[in-house]
Amino acid sequence: MFKTFSRSFFPAAWLGWQIESNWTDPFLFLAFSIAKPIASVLILVFMYNAVSQAGSDSPVYSYIYLGNAFYIYVTEVMAGASFSILDDRERYRSLKYIYIAPVSIPIYLFGRAVARFTTGTIAVVITLAAGVLFFGVPFNPLGVDWPMFFAALALGIVCLAFMGILIGTWTLIIRTEPWFIGEATAAALYLFSGAVFPLSILPAWLQPIGFLLPMTYWLELLRRALLGPGAAAFPTLSAFSNAELFGILMLITIGFSIVALIAYRYFDRRAREEGMIDAQSNF
Amino acid sequence: MSDQPAIKTENLGRIYKIRGAKRGEARQRVALADVNLEVPRGELFGLLGPNGAGKTTLIKILTTLLAPSTGRAFVAGYDVARQPQEVRPRINMVSGGESSGYGLLTVRENLWMFGQFYGLDTKTTYARIDELLQIVGLADRARTKTSDLSTGLRQKMNIVRGFLTDPEVIFLDEPTLGLDVGASRDIRHFVRRWMDDRPSRTVLLTTHYMVEADELCDRVAIINNGRVLACDSPANLKRRLQREAIFKLEVSPLRNGALAAFEQLPGVRKVVHSPQDGRSELDLILEADEALGNVVTALNTHGAHILNLQKREPTLEDVFVDLVGMSMTEAEKAGEQELMGG
Amino acid sequence: MSTLLTTRPPDRGWRLFVRTIVARAYPRLIGQQREKVWIFFETFLPFLATVGYIYVYRAIQAPEDYIGFVVMGGAMTAFWLNVIWAMASQLYWEKESGNLALYIMAPNSLMAILLGMALGGMLATCLRALVITVLGTLLFGISFAVSSYFQLFAVFVLTMAALYGLGMLLASLFLLWGREAWQIATALQEPVYFISGFYFPVKSFGFAVALAASVLPLTLGMDAMRQLVFASGPSLGFLSVEIEIAILSMLAVVFIAAAKFWLDFMERKAIEEGTLTDRRR
Repeated sequence: MFKTFSRSFFPAAWLGWQIESNWTDPFLFLAFSIAKPIASVLILVFMYNAVSQAGSDSPVYSYIYLGNAFYIYVTEVMAGASFSILDDRERYRSLKYIYIAPVSIPIYLFGRAVARFTTGTIAVVITLAAGVLFFGVPFNPLGVDWPMFFAALALGIVCLAFMGILIGTWTLIIRTEPWFIGEATAAALYLFSGAVFPLSILPAWLQPIGFLLPMTYWLELLRRALLGPGAAAFPTLSAFSNAELFGILMLITIGFSIVALIAYRYFDRRAREEGMIDAQSNF
Repeated sequence: MSDQPAIKTENLGRIYKIRGAKRGEARQRVALADVNLEVPRGELFGLLGPNGAGKTTLIKILTTLLAPSTGRAFVAGYDVARQPQEVRPRINMVSGGESSGYGLLTVRENLWMFGQFYGLDTKTTYARIDELLQIVGLADRARTKTSDLSTGLRQKMNIVRGFLTDPEVIFLDEPTLGLDVGASRDIRHFVRRWMDDRPSRTVLLTTHYMVEADELCDRVAIINNGRVLACDSPANLKRRLQREAIFKLEVSPLRNGALAAFEQLPGVRKVVHSPQDGRSELDLILEADEALGNVVTALNTHGAHILNLQKREPTLEDVFVDLVGMSMTEAEKAGEQELMGG
Repeated sequence: MSTLLTTRPPDRGWRLFVRTIVARAYPRLIGQQREKVWIFFETFLPFLATVGYIYVYRAIQAPEDYIGFVVMGGAMTAFWLNVIWAMASQLYWEKESGNLALYIMAPNSLMAILLGMALGGMLATCLRALVITVLGTLLFGISFAVSSYFQLFAVFVLTMAALYGLGMLLASLFLLWGREAWQIATALQEPVYFISGFYFPVKSFGFAVALAASVLPLTLGMDAMRQLVFASGPSLGFLSVEIEIAILSMLAVVFIAAAKFWLDFMERKAIEEGTLTDRRR
């Protein structure tokens, strides 16, 4: 069991890091790591400034900024797991070799997701630093509840990795060109997770989706850990205590882990039935 | 230009720069050197050599995909480097182990698309597609998406793509690579039949399968390390070895050093050793039958027993061994080691 | 093989050029529609992402026209994604799959191949963009006040010409790169959404930055279209529509000419260096 884990996870995490980082020199790598997250946060900063007169002191501003910064992890981790199936199958044509090796595919995908977590961390840190230095995000390192922050971060990442595995195993049976399926799903879920606006803004019939998503609770926990009482920009989740939020996040994580494993079994069987493991779409 | 040879090369050479070469390592690699060939129209010409010998480089130059470093090359009378626009309408190429087109299109659609790139009108294109698919036995898969085809069927489609434009000169680069025996045979039959039907057309075929070259080609050039070592009909090439005696021996496993001793024996020209499961296979090229006695004595000295002994006719593989001093497999390994060692 | 012997000579010149464009557009228009999964990935998911931005404006109580701005931005993301993923990185992908060598070896022009890819991609994407626009309009009750249909049509056509011209230029540039192409394509997403003002009026940048951003065709294309279809558009516009049309026309010519120049250069260079059929995964 442990052996399967170690031979699936570590090479995958290493490979993911190599693919993400060694395509260019460190300087260019850093430039690209900065460009994407900074641009996405600037879109929101400009949208906010184009309309709102409240400025950066408003708790709404910090709410939007932090939600967007940490949402980078959602995209990275989910895309990390899902993209690797397509990348290995269509581009490197190595999926079949990984498949016949004595590894566990879900753990392999988990490893690839963790690699993207590492590159994502660079982007998140840079975005946060830019927020504090240039965009007036209030931040006091002494006021941060660090244990709560790291606990929430870790739990959330595990949950996101399971979601990534779920999408990744689905791509096993997709023949067309969804290169950005992970990114696209993450971008779509942005709508429901209260990342940049509270769930109460959504029509009532859409709100339950948000309450089923782990990101909703995860982002709230991270905001509370970083900003303390200043996190209360919108009242949507104020009725929940920190412990309750952790409990819900834990339950959802367990739920997604079960769903991901069932999905893997199903899609794995279908992929082998349809001969998709070594398929080459040549779109 | 129809009186010009189909293919002509004059001192053709190609050197690749090695990217990222470190100090002390070779900065360039000679892939082709001083190649002089002339292939008349109507010939099925073979290039025989191990992987890395320069066959594909030569094909790339002749198909206008790669510029020569030295010398010149002409296809259908036109200079491939200076007049690619004249060469391209007259040629086509099929590479083994490669797919072409788009997986989401059907076989017929993919082939139609490639026909359009050559300016064929749709009616002619479809008529040719249907006819060629029938010949290669792919007619029932015409409306199957290419992504659903097996490797062998995909290669058959690739063959149809190459012949669809009725090229004056067609380049077949290892067209049966990775295919099973049946599919390879179908493709060889198809090529032969096409040549028989169209006597003015020319085929240049590269292969490292000796039988393929022997069975198909009017003439064969043997190429190794970027140089053409011999060029003649398969029969004439084999005739070079007619004065020699060629034996195939199966013996009990040989000890280290035995092989070197055999090569020193009087009357022994070449020994190729292939270790098998629990025995050794030796291919011997001897100056005359009498030299066999020396080999038998030497085998006894080294404690090896003869399990089987057979005298046989020379093959193109023997010609290669005679010219290069090693078998194709050994030449491939030597080439790889040279590359790795810089 | 009777048919092979009795045919009329193949087309050359402009007829071959047109045949090539149509043939290369075909897989985009027909092939890619076969897998219905595109409806989900290329329309529904981007639409949800667009709706996310709409609710940001709702959360900060923005005027209703801003919602319309976002819907238009969301529809235009389909074109930008198509340009970077299916144009810019496509030649690189064709090289990897072995098609590029066949394209170059054929008597057609590579420019026609690129134009075919552009035309097919553009028409297929129009459908996706239209779905996003219609859904957004119906669900969020967006009201339009079109001031000139003729100008709107001209702006759209010129924007597309310039945008896909840029895509063709990028495609030949991407041939220079190996697997970096993927990272570069990814990195071109959000920064361009930002610089081109997909979700807010580009006027917010100030004159100098907005002018620099106008190098990207979608910047002025969207600015002009917003001015032409929304009531508050003209007051938030960067330059006058006429000037924007003039600049877009120039961009279209420059990008298409630059694409042709680069493509010829890249083909020559690749043939000299032997990188054309070289795979670097």
